Amino acid sequence: MTTTTTTVTLADLTRMLRESAGEEEGVDLDGDVIDTPFMDLGYDSLALLQVIGQIQREYGIEIPDDAVVDAETPGALLALINAGQGTAA
Amino acid sequence: MSLTSYSAVVRRLVVSPGPAQEQRAQCVASAAGVSAVLRAFGRPPGDLPVRTVVYIGAAALDPELGREHEGFTVRTALTPGRALRLAHRELQDNTADFAMVAGFGEPDPHTITVYALKRAAEAIADADRVLGVLDTAGADEDDTPPVRPLHHGRRATDPERHRLLLWSGRDAQDESRVRGELLPLLSGLHSEAFPALPTAVPCGTPPGPVRGAAVTVAALAAGTVHKARAVRAGRPRPVALLFPGQGSQHAGMARGLYRREPVFTAAVDAALAHMGEEGDRIREDWLTTGEPRVPIDDVRRAQPLLFAVDYALGRMILGWGVRPAALLGHSAGELVAAVIAGVVSLPDAVAMMMSRVREAVKIPEGGMLAVAASETRLRPYLGADVAIAAVNAAQQVMLAGSAEPLAATGARLRADGFTVVTVPATSPFHSPAMAPASDAVEADYRRIPLREPRLPLYSGYTGALMRPEEALSPRFWARQITDTVHFRAALEELLAVEDVLLVEAGPRQTLTAFARRHRSVRLGAGAATPLLPARRGTEEADRQSVLTAAARIWTEGHDLDMDAVSRLWTWSDEEPVVAASGAGARREPAPALGS
Repeated sequence: MTTTTTTVTLADLTRMLRESAGEEEGVDLDGDVIDTPFMDLGYDSLALLQVIGQIQREYGIEIPDDAVVDAETPGALLALINAGQGTAA
Repeated sequence: MSLTSYSAVVRRLVVSPGPAQEQRAQCVASAAGVSAVLRAFGRPPGDLPVRTVVYIGAAALDPELGREHEGFTVRTALTPGRALRLAHRELQDNTADFAMVAGFGEPDPHTITVYALKRAAEAIADADRVLGVLDTAGADEDDTPPVRPLHHGRRATDPERHRLLLWSGRDAQDESRVRGELLPLLSGLHSEAFPALPTAVPCGTPPGPVRGAAVTVAALAAGTVHKARAVRAGRPRPVALLFPGQGSQHAGMARGLYRREPVFTAAVDAALAHMGEEGDRIREDWLTTGEPRVPIDDVRRAQPLLFAVDYALGRMILGWGVRPAALLGHSAGELVAAVIAGVVSLPDAVAMMMSRVREAVKIPEGGMLAVAASETRLRPYLGADVAIAAVNAAQQVMLAGSAEPLAATGARLRADGFTVVTVPATSPFHSPAMAPASDAVEADYRRIPLREPRLPLYSGYTGALMRPEEALSPRFWARQITDTVHFRAALEELLAVEDVLLVEAGPRQTLTAFARRHRSVRLGAGAATPLLPARRGTEEADRQSVLTAAARIWTEGHDLDMDAVSRLWTWSDEEPVVAASGAGARREPAPALGS
């Protein structure tokens, strides 16, 4: 019955956001970014899709495609991912 | 009633031809007279729009006067009234962009009245001081048509509309004091009076360096102003404008500004008017709440509408008094930047864009893909039919090609773990497949007068500042539909020259996102702000977003024309543009007498 629930933390997400942006480009993720819209961080839908794809592969979880639209901030994306198999709240 | 069928008088001046002619009963239209007309408003003739036409209305013509003078076409008519009507018709028929009309012997036999005439929508978009619109309805061709006042819509007093509240102080303490005076005004205010409050306080003095701004509706005003964080505006970074291209369009884009912001409205109408009847169909498809006849992602809608919207947003920002230090357009957006930089006139740019669209639809169907990867990593996936269309950012490249090979490449990339998104496009822009279209438009472009840029204009095709010889080359512009867009390189060049505040004049926030990933913006040396929301929202969200950008430009330390900005919450175009004053107002009908 019990399944191991994978929890993605802000630190994990920040690492993946950084990696996806590449070496030359990136965003300032040192501050308090949890409620900063992805758009303000420089993540358009393609960049965000890439991060979501990476999370899915790394953690073996399913995240609905709508996450890109629904989750406007890192906080919202984490909530969506961790709310049981990424079911939108 | 739309502005697009009117001609506006932007200048009018009565001049005397000089003492030598004073003895004559009537001044004669001579070559020297035409030279004087061309210089009447103090601008050297070289600064006049390329398609400026001089119209002479005079009973007596010097036989030496030719049909061309100093490189400008000269047309003659028997009376000033006929000359004005002729100018109006040619402006509306799009055979002239600017008319200098000289009424010889008007208002008295010894003087000349010189009129500067433009299409009304363009005059407003260009922020010209409009003296009025020409009322050509009169039946008598020889009568001088009266100049009717231009009504700028009606003032709206809707407290539910977002507005801007700006305040400033000499220092932090002074800013607190000013804010403290503003707050009680907002909480005790009758909501109907909210839109009428001054845009910036304190009134009557230049704004101080510590600045605060709020975008709010009446009910939330006090709280929003209270919470706002003031910033110290140092030496403001100059504004640079970014114009997005295909891929940024969405249904109903920027609709919240149409008929709600006068410069935007006039500029969209001006651009669409140059598309003829197709322009009317494009507007209907844009504004419809139902299904458009042609979907927005079709090249026949995406390109013309993006052009009109980008151009109108650019004009709106210029109307606020912002003087951009640099311009950069992505793909089709480069043509908009060229209009703003004075390389090509609006009607000619529209003709260039429409020619591209016409030729693009003849190319077998294709498309574009956006891939989250570097150019280098994508090289192995390219083929004869799939090419790099655009390099947007270090990890964002667009591919283009014919439908089938592109789909196959997309599948291979996805299988290899790349993130791939299909760009809403029906043509394989910026790929060799477009070569026949490029050759065809080049023939069209040879007929179009091009000028050197008057503002620093960066090109995505060279990834550098556009050189004069490039701006003047029809081939340079024609190749744009086939060649790769090096947006990243161009942005890099722009940001290397100076630290700027980038403002994206177009729908969505695509270019803003690229800019935010750039080192300069990331480190806070430069900054980027969008004008419109990232995705389709409410019409109010469009206006709210534009106001937020205006606030951003002001808190940067720039001065704004507050009257111009305030039209975003005080103006609407629900009333006729011209005073209801048909021919009847001029000549009362004779009273009916019993027979």
